[in-house]
Formats: sequence, C-alpha cells, structure tokens
Amino acid sequence: MSDNPDKNLDYEAEGGSVVDVHDAVRREKVLPPTGKEPISFGPLILTALVLILGAGYLGAYSNGFRDDIYVTKYYRPDPRPAGAGGDAAAEKLAWIDQWMKDGKKVYNNCVPCHGPAGAGQPGLFPPLKDSEWVNGGTTRLGAIMLKGISGPFTVNGVGYNNIMAPWDTLGDEKVAQVLTYIRREFGTLKEGEDGIVTTEMVKAAREQFKDRTTPWDEAGLRAIPEDSMLPGAKVDPQTGQPAQ
Amino acid sequence: MSLDLNQATPEDIRERAAIDRSVRYPVLFFFTSAAAWLFVATLLGFLSGLKLRVPTLWEDCPWLGYSRLFPVHMLALVYGWAMQAGLGVMIWLMARLTRNELKNPVTVIVAGHLWNAGVAVAVITVWAGLGRSMPWLDFPVWVAPLLFIGYLMVTLWLIPMFRARRAGEVYVSEMYLIGAALWFPWIFATANLLVGDEGAATMSTGINAWYMSNLIYFWFAPVALASAYYLVPKIAGRPIHSYPLAQVGFWALAVLAGWTGFQRYVGGPFPAWIPAVSGAASIFIIVAVVAAGANFWFTLRGRQKLWEYSPTLRFTLFGVLMFLAYAVLSGVSSFFSLSQVLQFSHFVVGLDTLAVYGFFSMAAFGAIYYIVPRITGCEWPSPTLIRGHFWFSTYGIGTVVLTMLVGGFAQAGQMNQWDQAFVRSVEVANGWIVGRIVAWLLIAAANLGFFYQLALMFIGRGRRSAGPTLIHAEPGSVGSAEEAVALAGAGGHH
Ligand code: HEC
Repeated sequence: MSDNPDKNLDYEAEGGSVVDVHDAVRREKVLPPTGKEPISFGPLILTALVLILGAGYLGAYSNGFRDDIYVTKYYRPDPRPAGAGGDAAAEKLAWIDQWMKDGKKVYNNCVPCHGPAGAGQPGLFPPLKDSEWVNGGTTRLGAIMLKGISGPFTVNGVGYNNIMAPWDTLGDEKVAQVLTYIRREFGTLKEGEDGIVTTEMVKAAREQFKDRTTPWDEAGLRAIPEDSMLPGAKVDPQTGQPAQ
Repeated sequence: MSLDLNQATPEDIRERAAIDRSVRYPVLFFFTSAAAWLFVATLLGFLSGLKLRVPTLWEDCPWLGYSRLFPVHMLALVYGWAMQAGLGVMIWLMARLTRNELKNPVTVIVAGHLWNAGVAVAVITVWAGLGRSMPWLDFPVWVAPLLFIGYLMVTLWLIPMFRARRAGEVYVSEMYLIGAALWFPWIFATANLLVGDEGAATMSTGINAWYMSNLIYFWFAPVALASAYYLVPKIAGRPIHSYPLAQVGFWALAVLAGWTGFQRYVGGPFPAWIPAVSGAASIFIIVAVVAAGANFWFTLRGRQKLWEYSPTLRFTLFGVLMFLAYAVLSGVSSFFSLSQVLQFSHFVVGLDTLAVYGFFSMAAFGAIYYIVPRITGCEWPSPTLIRGHFWFSTYGIGTVVLTMLVGGFAQAGQMNQWDQAFVRSVEVANGWIVGRIVAWLLIAAANLGFFYQLALMFIGRGRRSAGPTLIHAEPGSVGSAEEAVALAGAGGHH
C-alpha cells in the first residue's frame, strides 16, 4: 500500500511514524469553539410568533384540562340522518333529507333578498322566518311563488313596498322543494303538520292560478283563506311515497 | 504552530487519524448494513405503492398484501436503514468530539449484529403475518428486547466517552448525542410495554402516535442536528454563530418532544386536553427547529456558495430544511380544522416519509459522505453520482410529499361525507397513489449510485488521489469546497 504515493500522505516530516494519515483527515479543519453571539432579532420574532400561536391553540382546545370533556367545541359533526338506524341508515339518505338538501340549493335564489337565515332586510325585503305567510297555508305560498307580488305589502304588521318577480320558471319540483325548505326551516309548523310540499301540490297550484297574468297585490292574496292547503296526497318522509 | 487557527496541528491530525481508525470497522459495518436495508426498504416502498394502486395484483398471495408490504417497508426504513445509519454517525461523532478512541470496537460490532438480527426478525415476523398493526411497532413484542439490547450495547459506550471528554465547554453536538442515546431506550421501552394486546386499545393507538412523533423529535432530530452542528462549522471553516441560540434549540427540543404525538388523534376518544397539549407542544417545538436553522444560516452567511460544492453540506442543509418543513406541517396540521380533515388520510404517510427520508436520511447521507472517506482512506469516486443521488432524492421526496398532501385532502374530503360510499374516497385518492410509486422509483434510482459508490469505498476501491470529491469540480482538482468557491468567484470576474 505504501508504494502508492498518492494514498497515504504521511505528514510526519521527521519520519519514524507509521501513522497512516489519509488526506481527508489532514485537510480537515479544526472544530472552532462556538461563537458567543447573542440571539438576534429574527429568531426572537419567529419564536414569539410560535409561542403566541401555540398558547392560543392550547387555550382554545384544552377545555380547561377537564377529564370529562372529550369533544372540543370546535368539532361540529354533520347531523346524522333523521331516524338514524346506524350505518345502514346513513348509507341511504332518507327522502326528506335529500328533499331538504335540494330545497336548500334552490333557496340560494332567494338568499340575496331574504338572507341565508330568512331574516330579510329591514324596509326592503320582508323576513321569511316566522312570517305569517310562511306559517300559513300552502295555497297562498304557491300563489306567491308562481305569480310574484308587487306594491304595498304587510308582513307580521310591518309594511313593505317593493316587487318580487314570479318564480314560475323554476319548475314544479324545485318550487315544491324550496317551499318545503322555507316552511320546515323558517316556519313554525302547526300541530301534526310536516311542512312538506310535493310536486303534485305545486302542479295543482299552477292549474288553479293559470289564468292570472299580473302579480298579486296584498288584498288579492288575503282573499285566499289563510289555512287553505294545496290539494295533494301526504307522503312518507322516509320514502317520499304517498302515505296510507 | 500554524498561524491559521483553523488548520490542525500535527498532533491533532495524528489524534484524529487514530480515532478514525478505532471506529473504522463498527462504523463501516453500520453504514453498509444500513445501506443494504435501505435497498430493501426502497424496493418495498415501490411494491407497496404499486399494490395500493392496483389492489388486484398478486391477489392470492398474502405475503404481497399491502397490509404486510407497507409495515415491513417502514420497519426496514426506520430500524434497518435510518436508525442504523444514525448509530454509525453517533459513534464516529462522539469519538471525534470527545477525542476518545473507541475502546471496544468488537462489542459494538457484536451489538450491530444483534441489532440487525432484531430488524430481520421484525421484518420476517411481520411479513409472515404476526404483526401488531401498530405503525413502526408492528413486530411482536418479544422482538423488542433484541433491538433494545443491541441499541444499549452500542450507545452505552458513548457515556464513558462523554465523561472522558476534553476539558472546557460542552459542545452542543455532544448534548444532542447524549440526549439521543438516553431518550430512545425510554420511549422504546414505554411504547413496547404499553402498546399491544395488554394495553387498552384506544390508549395503544395514542401511545403509538406518541412513539412515532418521539422517535422523530427525540432521536432522529438530535442525531441529525448533532451531525449538522459538527459538520457545518467544519466545512464553513468558521465557528457556529451563537452558543445561546444553540442552547435554546437543544432545551426546547428536550423539554417539548416528549409531549408531542397525541395530536394525531385530535377529536379522538381521549379527554380533549391530551391531544390539545400535544398539539401545542408540536407547535412550540418549531422553536427548536428555527433556532438550529437560524444558527446554521448565520454561520454560513456569506459562504452559502459552499452548498454548491460540498456534498456533505448540501445533504445536511437539505435535511435541516426538510426538518423545518416537517415541524411546521405537523404543527399546523394539529389545528382542528385541518386535522379533522386530514388525520386519517394519506397526508399522514406523506408526513412520516418526509421525516424519515426527507429530513433524517438526507442528513445521514451528508454525514456519510463526510465520514466514509476518513475511515476508509479513499475518496468518493464520482461527483456525478453524488449529484444524481441528491437530485433524485429531492425529486422523490418532493413527489411523495406533494402527492400525499394533495391526495390526502382529496381523499379526506370524500371520507368525511357521511352520505358518500367509502369507496369514493379510495377512488379519489387512487390517482395520487401513483406519486408514491414514482417517488420510490426515483429514490431507488438515487440510491443505486450511492450503493455502488459505498460498495467501492468498502472494498477499498475508492479514488486514491488527494483532494475531496466535490459536486461541481473535477475530482481532486481543488483542496476544499472553500477553494472551489474562491476559484469559481475568480473565474467569474474575468
Ligand atoms: C329580488 C329580491 C327577492 C328575491 C330574489 C326573492 N324575494 Fe321573496 N319577496 C321579495 C319582496 C320585495 C317581497 C315583498 C313584496 C312587496 O314588497 O311587494 C317578497 C315576499 C316574499 C314572500 C311573502 C312575504 C314573507 O316575507 O313571507 C315570500 C313567502 C317570499 N317572498 C318567498 C321567496 C322565495 C321562496 C324566494 C326564492 C325562490 C324569494 N322570495 C326570492 C323579494 C325577493
């Protein structure tokens, strides 16, 4: 090995030593003692940020270190389907849940005026939440949806003077879904009522008001009896089929 | 006496050479057998990805099922490769730092065989279907003592070495090494005693997550940082910027690491404060990483160009950078809004891979590129292969992390929809799984060159001329990365 002059660059000039010193070991620098610079601004700021974040996290999620709280208040599980029967029920959505889901989608049309929670806008657009019209019979609601309203109009004793264009272009099913949605979501249902409006009922309304060409005024709507319901079979909320 | 304080005296050099010679065989043993395990792990990573993508493949063979391939891949990667390479780095570093020769190379080699036997038995038993289904702890509990004793037989020698250290201030690398040496037996024993058939099922899961996080912060991190704190100043030729900063980094890690882990099951069936404490610790611990990263940054300020030439520096710094990425991702993903979505998705696999390969393995490669020439007496043969090793590894780890992150979001989005069939989440993630297959192919390509070079070095067939192998320089043409930078700078001005 030692006859290869390149390999072992023996540093011992005095000779005598047979220490095999490879170049890598020779050229290596010494390890200098660590510098004593103080901690500078950048890392300090970063550290402070991390500490604030972590402390906030701990405050928000630790729930006072109580042993009996398992779910933090930040956890909001999706609601399980009504009448849940374990996973089998979860796999297939009950008819009414799907109907409401679709209704909520159609309701996006109404959000600009009536607001996501049906609160309306004071002086401009009336609320749907607990409005006498929503709480009342379905015939009036069908009439409003299909022909619109214009002019002075009172809702729960508050006057409005504006226009709502008719929604007859939506199609019967969608009108039925959105009416079901606003009644069940925003209305107060009477004893024994399920708030469901079916496609069949909307069809009947279309038939009933087909000759009308102008939007309603308040007097015209109030002429329809408050508790008048659109004709149509009641359905089973689980299946959507006519109930016996 | 040389005027340049950075230049070693003849006595220093003689001492160094003696130390390196004393650890030569154990360290080489660890590095080469680690590399062999890395090869196995890479192959298994590829196969398990393939199996996940095409589940109908090899349908009749339980040995090639994902539920065995993946755990075996992880065991080979974590214990076979990463920890074993780390043990080699620890021994060499401790000997160098404390200026002690290793007195018992034979015991350490025996211990190394024990460790390898442990890993082999772990791999075989899990592969045969005897696994515990606990990530990183899949092996049957009776395998644990093999690994445990093997480990102690190696690291126990570090303590007398440390006690016989040269006088003066304790260097931060020494603190990290002693920490790592002692923390692992604690977490490993705790996890093995509490996880599994005997423990309560729910707690087992939590402790399992605690163990994984602790292995990263209490072992991989200190070993990699010890190596970085030693190698960065050596290559930069200047001292580590700030001692206080280094202390902050060490103590933050020491105090916080043990609290991390449970945040993986935020919202799980534990009293809510447990994952909350873990989550907060995993956020606070970012301080430890920032401190180390900032210290290296300031140390190298004005000399960043060294990174282009020195393989050691390049791999080491990339590792530190990935450590930062890991710490930030794991801290951020413990927030409820994210964790609620991501916690059972591929994201988690991406994060684990980031820690073991992107961070630790890269840092270990850096150390290996530095150490092996010194203990074998020859230089790495090919700068091209080193460069390939770096870039293919980078692409590989980038692919895993990105696809698993995005795929994890896609998968989890579907998984959390209760009115959706579960199979949707599988279908949605399926495309992203390709990322895992490609990544392990890239990593395999990267490491082939590494294995080849390491084998040459092992049998003493490395390059025989003087001068280091640097990435962008004719082998042996310059004496150091610093010279290479100076030369390139001079060339640039003409
Ligand atoms: C352009 C704004 C606008 C949109 C969009 C709109 N409405 Fe109206 N809505 C009104 C106004 C204005 C009135 C009151 C009419 C008036 O002032 O003459 C009204 C009144 C009503 C009423 C009766 C009064 C009450 O508050 O109970 C109902 C029911 C109703 N809207 C339902 C709907 C539904 C369902 C939709 C969505 C399909 C909808 N509206 C979309 C503006 C709107």
